[in-house]
Amino acid sequence: MSIHNAYLTQVADIMRDLFDEHTGPITEATTARDIAQWDSLSHVRFMALVEQEFGIRFTTAEVQTFTNLGSLIDALIKRKS
Amino acid sequence: MTDFPWRKPLDDDWGAQIAEIEATLSAGGVPDYARTKALANQRLGMREQLKVERLAARMRGRGQQGFTPFKIGLLGSRTLSYLAAPLAAAGLARGLMVEVQEAPYNSVARFAFSAPTFFEGALDAVLVVLDESALGRAPRLLDAAAEDEALRQATSLVDAIAAAARSRNGCPVIVATQPPPLQIAAADIATPGSAARFNLRVNMMLADGAAEGRWLLWDQAALAAWVGLERWLDPISFHAAKVPFNVQMCPLAADNIAGILAAMKGKAARALVLDLDNTLWGGVIGDDGIGGIRLGQNSPEGEAFVAFQNFVLSLRDRGAVLAVCSKNDEAVARMPFANHPDMILREQHFAVFQANWNDKATNISSIAQALNLGLESLAYVDDNPAERERVRQELPLVATIEVGEDPSFFIERIARSGVFQHLALNADDLARASSYESFARAADIRTQLGNYDDYLRSLEMQMTISPFDAVGRPRIVQLVNKSNQFNLTTRRYNEEDIRKMQEGADVFGWQVRLDDRFAQHGMIGVVIVRERAAEWEIDSWLQSCRVLERGVEQCMMNTLFTAASAAKVERVVARYIPTDRNQMVADFYTRFGFEVTKRHEDSSVEFLCPVPAYKPKPVFIETNLNL
Repeated sequence: MSIHNAYLTQVADIMRDLFDEHTGPITEATTARDIAQWDSLSHVRFMALVEQEFGIRFTTAEVQTFTNLGSLIDALIKRKS
Repeated sequence: MTDFPWRKPLDDDWGAQIAEIEATLSAGGVPDYARTKALANQRLGMREQLKVERLAARMRGRGQQGFTPFKIGLLGSRTLSYLAAPLAAAGLARGLMVEVQEAPYNSVARFAFSAPTFFEGALDAVLVVLDESALGRAPRLLDAAAEDEALRQATSLVDAIAAAARSRNGCPVIVATQPPPLQIAAADIATPGSAARFNLRVNMMLADGAAEGRWLLWDQAALAAWVGLERWLDPISFHAAKVPFNVQMCPLAADNIAGILAAMKGKAARALVLDLDNTLWGGVIGDDGIGGIRLGQNSPEGEAFVAFQNFVLSLRDRGAVLAVCSKNDEAVARMPFANHPDMILREQHFAVFQANWNDKATNISSIAQALNLGLESLAYVDDNPAERERVRQELPLVATIEVGEDPSFFIERIARSGVFQHLALNADDLARASSYESFARAADIRTQLGNYDDYLRSLEMQMTISPFDAVGRPRIVQLVNKSNQFNLTTRRYNEEDIRKMQEGADVFGWQVRLDDRFAQHGMIGVVIVRERAAEWEIDSWLQSCRVLERGVEQCMMNTLFTAASAAKVERVVARYIPTDRNQMVADFYTRFGFEVTKRHEDSSVEFLCPVPAYKPKPVFIETNLNL
C-alpha cells in the first residue's frame, strides 16, 4: 500500500469513529459537504484527532483548508516526509 | 503518556466489552451499572473516548440505569460545545448521567441581565467559563483606580449570573477560574492595569465569592497549571473556533468538572482504605522487621513514604475516614504504628484496622460494613497491582486508584483522581473522621457492656434540634441530597428550596445535631413538615447512618408530637416512598404506631397517627430545643 493510501485508511478510520452516522464511502474526493456531521464545530475536533494520531500540528492558515480529504492527505505526506 | 495516570490501564478486550454493552442497549436492555462505569473509568485513548461519548449519548434519555442524573447548563463567553460530549462521558466514569444544555454563543450578558430562557426547567448547576471578553480588563497601565472599578464590574457580572441561575433554574453556578495570560515582564503582576495582575485579582475574587457560598468553583487555572499552559492553550483553535482551551484537553477538563458534580451529588469517596507493606512504608514488616523497613531519613524512598503519610493525614483532616487492609499478622502490622519513630500515621487515626490473611475484597466489604458506608464511598490504595486487580474485579464500585508502585507518585495520583473532591468545607466535615472512629470505638464498648440500654446511657448523648437557618443550610442541602438509606421519601431539594422553606409560612424544617462523649457528630438528621389546618404532613425524614440505633429517631419523633400537640394539630400524616436503597426504613412509621391509610400502585405507603394516640418512646438522649 502506498503512503497515500495508508494515510487515507488511517484518516478514514478516525472519520468513521467521529462521523459515525455517515455510512457512505470515504475517498480522497470526500469533502465536508458529503458528510452531514462534518460541520465547522466537528471540524475542529477532527483536526485535533488527526494531529494527535499523526503527532503533528497544522498551521492556522491550513486548518480551514482541509475540508476536502485529498488536501488533508497531501499535507500529511508533506509534513511526515 | 496518558492524561489519566490514576485510572486503570485499558483492558485488552475493552472494545469487545463496550460492544457487549452496546448490544445490550440495542436489544432494549439495561447495561450493568458497575461494569459500564468501570469501562468508562479506564485510560481511554482518543478513539475509546469517542466510543464512550457515543455510549453516553445513547444511554441518555433511557432512564437512569443506576446512574445519578445531573442536569447541567453550559454558559461561556467562548464556545463550550466541545465540553458537552466529554462531560457526559466523564459522568459515566463517576456514576453520573450528565445531561448537558448549552447556552447560545456569546450570551453571557443576556443571561445575566435580561430574561431569556436558554435552559429548560430546573438544573443541578450551570457551569460558567468566562474570559476577558466577558470579565473585562483594566483599561490603562498604572491606573489602579480603574483596575478596581473593572474588578467591581466583573464581580457584579458573576453575581448577576449566579442570581439568574438561582431564580430561573433553581441551581448554583460553578464558575471557572482563569488560567494566567502570558506575561511580558516579570513585574506584570506588580503593575496595576496589566492583564496578569487583573487575572490574579479576578481569580481571588472568584475564590472569595465561593468561600462566601455565592457560587461554586471549577479551578481551571489549577488544572491548566498542572498540565502546563503550553498544552492547555491552543491559539490556533482559539482563532479558528473560539475554543477557550485546547480541544484535546476536553476529556481531562470534563473529568475534572465531573469530580465536582459527583461531590455535589454526594458521590465522592468518604473513606480511604490503605494497604501497609510498600504502601505506607518500604519493605515488608513481617520479613524486614521494625529496623528493616524503609521509612524516614535514611533513604529517598523512606522520605517519599513519610510524605505520603503526611498527605494521608491531610485527607483525614478534611474528613476522610482511614482504614487499614493488610495481609499480615495483626500484632506485627501494628508494630510500626506503635514503635517506629518516623511513622506519621498512628493507630488512633484509623477507624478500622484489618490485618489478617483473608482475601482483601472480603476485608474491604467488612470495612464498609463496620463504617456503615456503601462500597462506592470507599477509595482503595495498594501498591500491588494484583491486589488492585482482584479488588476491581470483586468490588468494581470501590474506587481503586492506580497509584503505581513508586511512592513518590502516590500523592499525585490520589489528588488528581478527584475521588476526594469536595465542595467548600464546613465544620461538620472536619469532625467526620473522628466521628467514624468513635463509631468503631463505640461498637467495641457495645460488645463489652452487653445491656443495650446501659450502652446508650454510657454514651451521654445530647441532641440539639433547631429550625433551618443560614449557617446550617449547606449541610442540610448535603444531607437532603445524599442520604439514601435512612430516608423515607428521598425527596431532593437544592439550596434555594431549603432557603424558601426557612421563610415559608406553611412549612418548617428541623436540623438535628448529636454529640456524645466520644465525638461531635454534627448534623445527623433533617425533618421537613408541611403544615395544614389540623394536620402536619412529614414531607421528608432523613438521618445520617453514622448514628443508627441510638434512639435518635425516637427522640425526634417524641419532640415532633410534643410540638404538634402544643400547636393544637389533630393528626400527623406521613409517607414512605420505597427506593432500592431505603428498605431499612420500610416499617419506620408502623414502629411508631402509625396506621396505614393508603397503599399506592408505585408501592409508596401513606400513614396517619392522631396526635393524642402517640405513645412517647423511651430515650437516653438529653434534648436541647431551639425551636
